[in-house]
Amino acid sequence: MALAYRTREEPAAVWTYREALHHTMREALARHPHVLILGQGVDDHKGTFGSTLGLAREFGAERVMDTPLAEDGMTGIAIGAALQGLYPIQTHIRVDFALLAMNQIVNLAAKYRYMFGGRFAVPMLIRMVIGRSWGQGAQHSQSLQALFAHVPGLAVVMPATAESILRIYPWVVEHYRGPVVSLEHRLLYDVGFHVRPEAWQVDPDASPLTSRRVRAGRDVTVVATSIMVLEALQAAEHLEQAAGLSVEVIDLGCVSHPDAELILASVAGTGKLMVADTSWRAYGVCAEVCRLVCERAPRALTAPVVTLGMAPAPCPTAKPLEDLFYPSLRRTTDALARLATGRERHGIPLPEEASMADVYKRFKGPF
Amino acid sequence: MSFAGLYERLFYQALRIRLVEERVVALYPSDRIQSPVHLSIGQEAVAVGACGALAPADLVFGSYRGHAFYLAKGGDLRAMFAELYGKATGCGGGKAGSMHLAAPEVGFMGSSAVVASTIPHAVGAALAAKRRGTGQIVLAVFGDGATEEGVYHESLNFAALHRLPVLFLCENNGLAVHSRIEARESYGIVRHARAYGVPASTCADGADFVAVHAVVAHAAARVRDGGGPRLVECRTQRYMEHVGVGRDFDAGYRARAECDGWRARDPLLQDTALVGRWTPVIEREIDDAVAFAEASPWPEPAELLTDVA
Repeated sequence: MALAYRTREEPAAVWTYREALHHTMREALARHPHVLILGQGVDDHKGTFGSTLGLAREFGAERVMDTPLAEDGMTGIAIGAALQGLYPIQTHIRVDFALLAMNQIVNLAAKYRYMFGGRFAVPMLIRMVIGRSWGQGAQHSQSLQALFAHVPGLAVVMPATAESILRIYPWVVEHYRGPVVSLEHRLLYDVGFHVRPEAWQVDPDASPLTSRRVRAGRDVTVVATSIMVLEALQAAEHLEQAAGLSVEVIDLGCVSHPDAELILASVAGTGKLMVADTSWRAYGVCAEVCRLVCERAPRALTAPVVTLGMAPAPCPTAKPLEDLFYPSLRRTTDALARLATGRERHGIPLPEEASMADVYKRFKGPF
Repeated sequence: MSFAGLYERLFYQALRIRLVEERVVALYPSDRIQSPVHLSIGQEAVAVGACGALAPADLVFGSYRGHAFYLAKGGDLRAMFAELYGKATGCGGGKAGSMHLAAPEVGFMGSSAVVASTIPHAVGAALAAKRRGTGQIVLAVFGDGATEEGVYHESLNFAALHRLPVLFLCENNGLAVHSRIEARESYGIVRHARAYGVPASTCADGADFVAVHAVVAHAAARVRDGGGPRLVECRTQRYMEHVGVGRDFDAGYRARAECDGWRARDPLLQDTALVGRWTPVIEREIDDAVAFAEASPWPEPAELLTDVA
């Protein structure tokens, strides 16, 4: 299994998501003089949740640049800088704030290459943080990957692990010539991950903008995004221990460019599909993965697809409602058990704790 | 072509743009140009005066009303007509149309159909020019309506804050589509820019390309010397409807008399001697460009999915 929580046995191979982010930001600045980081508070004492901490002091305020509260303008400025040979990394401490930059992202960045017939390229990375829990509420918690992935011209990634960050960020800075939108999950920042040695090999020809199988299994396929990859892995472990079920988990990884062949081959083997996304299910990743299967391999399914995501409402702040808003590990495991066994009353004992409970307990905000 | 001084040189360029756009008007009923066109007829002097005051390596970011600046900055005429025709030989390979002309080889960095949206690109390019020490300045071209967009204010602020080598050039024709400026703006464009610490001036006669050239050259020199951003507002007059090849003085939103005042001092209408001298040679160049567009192939089907990402 590729992913695991931090263990004490292999400290050198374990990175938190935050450490991976900070490492890739620092390396980008150190290796590439044309890289600059633009964002609100990137140079302050919190340093974008620690991911840019100290970098302004090390590389200078001209390269790690605090910006005015001007999301649309700053995105346009990043585009202009990219057109002239700089590589901007832009940060939004909440994905919700990036909505103010939708004109530049959708109308300009996504189209600059195509609508001028390939005369221009806008290589840039836009980092957006998804908030969750501790009363983040309706405007600090959205998962807007579907909005971005809907638009041709954008590469949209959702790194689920520290290893994903170490694979994706250095590669896109060095080898990818278009705009990349990355949605980072705030609750992952403190989670430690095993990083395998091969993650450090950056192969220019092997794009990490794709999907990865992170757990092999025979009985059911789960296609998941971001933190739901971890939830799916925990549910899969539980069902293997408790009932001997074999669950395959695919980290969708690049929402805009999923590995359809990987997903279809997996579903062909298991006949059963769950899609577990961090966002609303309608018109989003859940719907899109279903489209892939329905169009290309409808006969592979031996049971209806199951989708998990946020409740179809804005995010409430009250804890009891917020707990209902997101799928818990218990509900995820239950849904997976029902799908795998084909029985409503599967009789498999469910995990008691809420999903990622230890992480949630440590997360006390504010920022 | 040899010219006796700046007036003749700029006149030739302005006349060339006008005759190109009048050819567009003439061709439009044939439906060979299947692209919305926003013509600059009446506003050519701003483009040739401003671009004439720039260095070849300087950059220009334009808007959907972009034919004049594309040509004034040195964009290829054949590639422009081919683009209007949607042909593979167009400057955008047939994917751009009239509203997205670009000629990066001469520093014309593209044009957008969304009002004000290339203004921050000019600021970002100026940031890159400053960081990389290229000595370039960047011209952001936009209309009066663009100054009402939030991104314009965001761009002014950032450019002034970091003293970037960008020159904001407002083509003030007093109209946003069919809405008059007095119904839209609570501020004066020049005074407003100064509030951001951006020195600003007005060229009251935007039909006088020599006057435009002088104002822009003065501002460009200060910008190039590291003095930070500046703004130049050129008053001008759109002779045509907002989009399309018609005149719409009968539509009720403006009076023909407003336009007549400009026409009375428009060198391209008044200096008939120079018009007569150069029209034949320019028309031959246009004939050649149109023939090139006519004879050029359509984009291959595979182009549909080329250069997406």
